[in-house]
Amino acid sequence: MNISRREFGALAATALAFRATCAAASDPSVFVTGMDLPANLDPAQILDVQSTQWGLNAYDNLYRYEGNPAEMRPWLATEHTVSADGLVWNFKLRQGVKFHDGSELTADDVVYTVQRLLAIGRAPAAPFLPILKAESITAPDRYTVRFTLAQTYGPFFGMIPMIAVVNPRVIKPHEDNGDWGAKWMASNEAGSGAYKLLPESYVPLEKADLEKYDDHFVGWSDNAQAIKKIEWRPAKVTSTRVLALLNGSLDMTDSFLPVDQVERIDKSTNAHVAKNVTMRLLVIRMNNTKPPFDNINARKAFAHAFNYGGFIDEIVKGNAVRDPVPIPNNMWGFPKDVTGYDYDLAKAKEYLAKAAADGAPVKRPIEMHVQQPLEQTVQASQLFQSDLASIGVDLKLVNDTFANLVSISSKAETTPDMWIHWVSAYYLDPDNWIGQMYDSRYHGTWKASCWYTNPQVDALLSKARFTIDQEGRAPMYEQAAKIIVADSPDIWIYNMIEVCGISNRVQGFKHCPVGSGGEVRWMHLSA
Amino acid sequence: MLRFVLRRVLYAVPSLFGLMIFTFLLIRIVPADPAAALAGDNATPQQIADIRHQYGFDRPVAEQLVLYIGQVLRLDFGESQYSHRPVGLDIRQRLPATLELTFAALLLAIVVGIPLGVVAGVNHNRWPDFVLRLFSITGVAVAAFWFAIMLQLLFSMQLDWLPLRGRTSAGAVLPPELTGSLLIDSLIAGRLGVFWDALLHLIMPAVTLSLGALATIARFTRAGVLDTMQKDFVLYERAVGYPRRRLIWIYVLRNSVIAAVTQVGLLFGALIAGAVVVESIFDWPGIGNYAVQAILTADYKVMLAVTLLVGVVYTIVNILTDLVHGLLDPRLWEQL
Repeated sequence: MNISRREFGALAATALAFRATCAAASDPSVFVTGMDLPANLDPAQILDVQSTQWGLNAYDNLYRYEGNPAEMRPWLATEHTVSADGLVWNFKLRQGVKFHDGSELTADDVVYTVQRLLAIGRAPAAPFLPILKAESITAPDRYTVRFTLAQTYGPFFGMIPMIAVVNPRVIKPHEDNGDWGAKWMASNEAGSGAYKLLPESYVPLEKADLEKYDDHFVGWSDNAQAIKKIEWRPAKVTSTRVLALLNGSLDMTDSFLPVDQVERIDKSTNAHVAKNVTMRLLVIRMNNTKPPFDNINARKAFAHAFNYGGFIDEIVKGNAVRDPVPIPNNMWGFPKDVTGYDYDLAKAKEYLAKAAADGAPVKRPIEMHVQQPLEQTVQASQLFQSDLASIGVDLKLVNDTFANLVSISSKAETTPDMWIHWVSAYYLDPDNWIGQMYDSRYHGTWKASCWYTNPQVDALLSKARFTIDQEGRAPMYEQAAKIIVADSPDIWIYNMIEVCGISNRVQGFKHCPVGSGGEVRWMHLSA
Repeated sequence: MLRFVLRRVLYAVPSLFGLMIFTFLLIRIVPADPAAALAGDNATPQQIADIRHQYGFDRPVAEQLVLYIGQVLRLDFGESQYSHRPVGLDIRQRLPATLELTFAALLLAIVVGIPLGVVAGVNHNRWPDFVLRLFSITGVAVAAFWFAIMLQLLFSMQLDWLPLRGRTSAGAVLPPELTGSLLIDSLIAGRLGVFWDALLHLIMPAVTLSLGALATIARFTRAGVLDTMQKDFVLYERAVGYPRRRLIWIYVLRNSVIAAVTQVGLLFGALIAGAVVVESIFDWPGIGNYAVQAILTADYKVMLAVTLLVGVVYTIVNILTDLVHGLLDPRLWEQL
């Protein structure tokens, strides 16, 4: 084929034009993140990893978790006091903190925030509802907030970072039929955080731009080259997300990367993988109300049939730590002397035979619902299916979405035989895990979806919840964990090591188990 | 012709009504509780019950259905359970992106598929025909997500020619929205930079989406050409020495594409359905992507609205297809 010089020139110009328009996100002041956006921007309406990350950037809290291991750091509050009976908590506010509209943040705003949270009554309010009523929060003076609890509550202080303070002066004009501005806040922002939303940029679940808030109360002297703009651009598919990171059009991925993608990023020259021990448990649930899982021998058979070592070492490539109980192994209250269940198909067979002798229908097909589109849950399920087949158990895998699983697990009869999920850190207290997973008062919620009931455990967890000092609570959680492990209601696999793909131009990334390192104010971009 | 159009529109009404009821019942039959999904992490049973009551999920299904039909007839699709934004508004914002992608894919499939089919047909059992057959089997069989990733690896990662994802580059200032098509709007506004940027972003998603349709159209055109080439009028024209190129590309083609045009109508529905996958991979901000998010978050009002919308678009395209049939062969007016 002959190409004339003119034709060659035209082709070359076209190719150059192509390359020129595909410029990567290399602006040194713009950080492009591939983290998912929350389904709703109101911190009073949604509670998940994405909304926590959103809140850490757009809002402020009285106290905040920082670092790993996480520590409670005074944030909007400078200090707090608690009465001897543990019922009255006073938080002293920093003066001169400004919301994004320039108005000052005072104790009245915190009162409004908590009352709004309770009135809207969605997931972020759940841990507060048993102990707080609207009138329990008061402002004795302009810079003091007082919480008067209905009863002593051990996790209370740990839950304080879940309160993202909102600006009532911005919200109230948008209130509609007493909705506390819920409709408006779903797509807008009314905070004082280090970054503020550019409202015209927001398209739900697709994109949001935030610009640096120069008047943020912490100041920016510790980060002179702070990121000026965050472009939130979630990528729906993992491969696209990773390719975008590798070609430089994205600065950060999520923290649920599958191993093959981790290896791929590790090999690249312009990005790396940040690995951080966190507090996120992977659990296979068994519906304890449905045969054969109402039989303890059947449950133990299944617990012995999961290849923990193989999964952690070979499939997850060591990016997890075996955790045999429903408390993260880096959390206080973790019982160090509990070894849990090991992978032993001979024992699994023995327990299966005992269960069959008890009349449990161990030969019936078992359905396990698998969360899509998360690759690790699929891999764990397939490994489990293969081992169970070798001992004569017919495990059928059913693809499902988290939203649907949450939905169907609200009733025992619609909860699947088995399903698999993570339990992430929202407040750093054993109650976030063992408390909400195995206290029968939480039946009907996805966290308690194994429908386990043990009055002794209920009493212990309740007592721990209503005790204030950590030294007194820790042994109660340890004891409850031992009883639960002996009853084997679920299969606890690991505590995750979070793997997050980060562009090499990102400096100052700080990981924290709450928010998975999504707080951008500490970061800057190298040229 | 007018009578034909009216008749088809009237036929479409019960179909769409059936679709509306069927999808509503399908979603309600599933033993799921949207209130629990909506309540989110850590929610208590009481909170879930409150939400169930607030959204009317605790009412009888028949009552909910009547309310839903009433809303839809008023073109009110409710609001997203999560964003609290009107679903109609969200769809209006996203539909143009999907239509642009779908029409681009369809155009590509027609413009490339029909000539390919003709070339294969007139070269029956020779190498162009063998190549086309291989291509059409591959085109139909290959998985869109695999093909999309291959395109991304080659054109974005290796050659760095095309953008990896999205509809425009970061920071692009968009022209005023007139038609919803970024290509057309940017041309109207004289913004050639935006046009070029949008075109580059469109190439890979459109090629991926068109692959199956292109193969199908080429195959049907080929079959049509083979059939027409045996007709008496073709033999006659050839015998009298009518120019071959003119004979094939005008007379044979016109008589050969009816089956392919029927496929265009059917393929349009498949393309909109296929856009769900393609939009997810390329982060294309259309209703496919919106539907995936709705499914993942169990936002059932969005799911219902998107399903109904796809049904309406599919119906309209089928009516248009029948019209084109009639234009190509007026005898069909009476039969349709």
